[in-house]
Amino acid sequence: MKQKRSDIFIHLILLTILGLTLLPFVFVINNSFRRTNEQYHSFFGVPESASNLVRFTWFKLTGQPDRIELRIMPERKDGKAQTVRAADVPMTRISYGEAMSNCWHELYKGFVYAWQVFRPFMINSLIVSISSAFGVVLVSSISAYVFARYRFPGHRALFFVIISFMMIPWVLTLVPSFLWVKTLGLINSYWVLILPYIAGGQIIAIFLFKGFFEGLPEELFESARLDGAGHFAQYWNIVVPLSKQIMAVVVIVNILGTWNNFLWPLIANPDQKFSVVSTGLYYLSQTQAAGNGDKSTMFAAYVIASIPLLVLFIYATKPFMTGVTAGAFKA
Amino acid sequence: MTESSTPLSDTTDATGPGGPVLAYTTLRETARSRSLIDHIAASASLYAMLIPTFLLLALFCLVPFVIAIWRSFQEYEVGGTAKFVGLANYREYLFHDYTFLQSFGNMIFLTLFAVICVMIVPLIVAKLIFSLTSERASYIYRILFLIPIIVPNVAIFLIWRGVIYGDDGLLNLVSRALHLPLPAHGWFSTPSTVLWAIAFIGFPFAGGINILIYYAGLTSIPDSVHEAAELDGAIGLRKFFTIDVPMVMSQIKLLVMLTIIGGVQAFEGVYILTGGGPGFRSLVPGLWMYDNAFKFQRMGYACAIGVILFLLILALTIFNMRYFRSAEQLQGQTR
Repeated sequence: MKQKRSDIFIHLILLTILGLTLLPFVFVINNSFRRTNEQYHSFFGVPESASNLVRFTWFKLTGQPDRIELRIMPERKDGKAQTVRAADVPMTRISYGEAMSNCWHELYKGFVYAWQVFRPFMINSLIVSISSAFGVVLVSSISAYVFARYRFPGHRALFFVIISFMMIPWVLTLVPSFLWVKTLGLINSYWVLILPYIAGGQIIAIFLFKGFFEGLPEELFESARLDGAGHFAQYWNIVVPLSKQIMAVVVIVNILGTWNNFLWPLIANPDQKFSVVSTGLYYLSQTQAAGNGDKSTMFAAYVIASIPLLVLFIYATKPFMTGVTAGAFKA
Repeated sequence: MTESSTPLSDTTDATGPGGPVLAYTTLRETARSRSLIDHIAASASLYAMLIPTFLLLALFCLVPFVIAIWRSFQEYEVGGTAKFVGLANYREYLFHDYTFLQSFGNMIFLTLFAVICVMIVPLIVAKLIFSLTSERASYIYRILFLIPIIVPNVAIFLIWRGVIYGDDGLLNLVSRALHLPLPAHGWFSTPSTVLWAIAFIGFPFAGGINILIYYAGLTSIPDSVHEAAELDGAIGLRKFFTIDVPMVMSQIKLLVMLTIIGGVQAFEGVYILTGGGPGFRSLVPGLWMYDNAFKFQRMGYACAIGVILFLLILALTIFNMRYFRSAEQLQGQTR
């Protein structure tokens, strides 16, 4: 019984801390559904269109259809921000169906604008993150396989060389990397992100893969060798099929890192054509001209920017949790 | 096949079942009889498989590293000519740069603040989660506390700027409602509040992976230790400080080390939020490096600042070398 009571106490503390942790994100999601004039009126509150949806349904159910009325804001053709004050627009009585579709449209309007502006950044980020994650898996698993399963002259020294690159902090190489990729003529391209991401990301990945590959049973490799399989055939037919889990972890470690990276894309891809999600968010916040200048757009953009990792998180919770802890040691 | 390569089990036919260690020693004996060059030639395909890794490392890790050192001794502008100036860049930054003391002070303040936070809050939360009787509830909490990690860092900074510190943000709302003697707005533009405002981003500092790392440490404490402690009458807070804290010391050290290394380098948040202002009140060395490179075009000087930060991190890392070994053990545990 005592155990139960202390549990309730712990739950209360944990829920408080959790609430404080998630509070800013709750406001972000909430404000992504609220128009500029609503946010101007009060920064925190229930989205008007959501409350209207409930109110109008209530009026409909209780037989008061004449109370369904809305301020229909005139749409500007040039797609610029509203200049009409909400109070100056008269209330119009409309049918239930019309009101509902109007409110729904108002509710997700911020997301429509945000997606219009944000789509190229999302596509760029997906291209860069996915291809560098798979590049890392390919390159580092082959190297880790060689280090884990073979002894050859210099294997210790070569592995030490790889590990010693962990000692170089990104702050040292940030500026010279820029100078170097400029010399190579890679500035403003996908390659300027993908190649350095693979080069840097493979180190921790080799480390993770090597530990896993060393644990694979030797008998499998032996029988494959008896069948005449070469090094690469052994890697492809034995290692790869058995390493799906650890590969998922490595993919997640890398996607997390590259999706979040801000400074390198900012420096290496000054042309907005190749902007990724993080730099895109920054530019958007700088210009304030996001979408229709509607305040909800920026908040909707935060939500959209988080969706891919949310999907990954829900779809692969276990490797995700392993991946984030493994990724912590990358620094 | 076995002639052209040296797989681990090369010797298993001859010596019966042999582990990798045995295989390795016998292999060295055979290697002695063969010449080294033959051996290397026989392993050619293995070296070939390592080419992509080393090519990428050389191109995008080694070359920038060499450039960093080399350029730090030069006065260099992109497109301009480079002039060798010896240690002048270093001397200028360490002794004549008017931002040096301020920015290092800011960096130390922000890093120390982050270190204190990472030592306390996630550990307490992890301990609370660990003490829950329901396995299911503890798993759900661990997942929920991980949610902030899916939001991009840039978004976190911008969200805090708008939602918490904004003119209509939560902080001003609360301070107005309670008539607190806090600055009504402009948390980032007031010199006395800017550093605290930046430091408090992420409050209550519980979200993210730190809880998972501490939790892994707590689960690895053997039950017998808990039982012995309880027999000795150690319960509650006393048990926490005498048993739990010492047992997760390697995790604490690791996270402190990672936080320090991260703190020395961090300037993304300051760049996005204040640009180092007002004045140089929130400037950090990393941002000054960025400014010198991309605002003032002083690439050599920027490289010198980078090298100084690198040497600082290197010194800290060597000092704590053994904590990195605990990182490997940790990875095994969390899996």
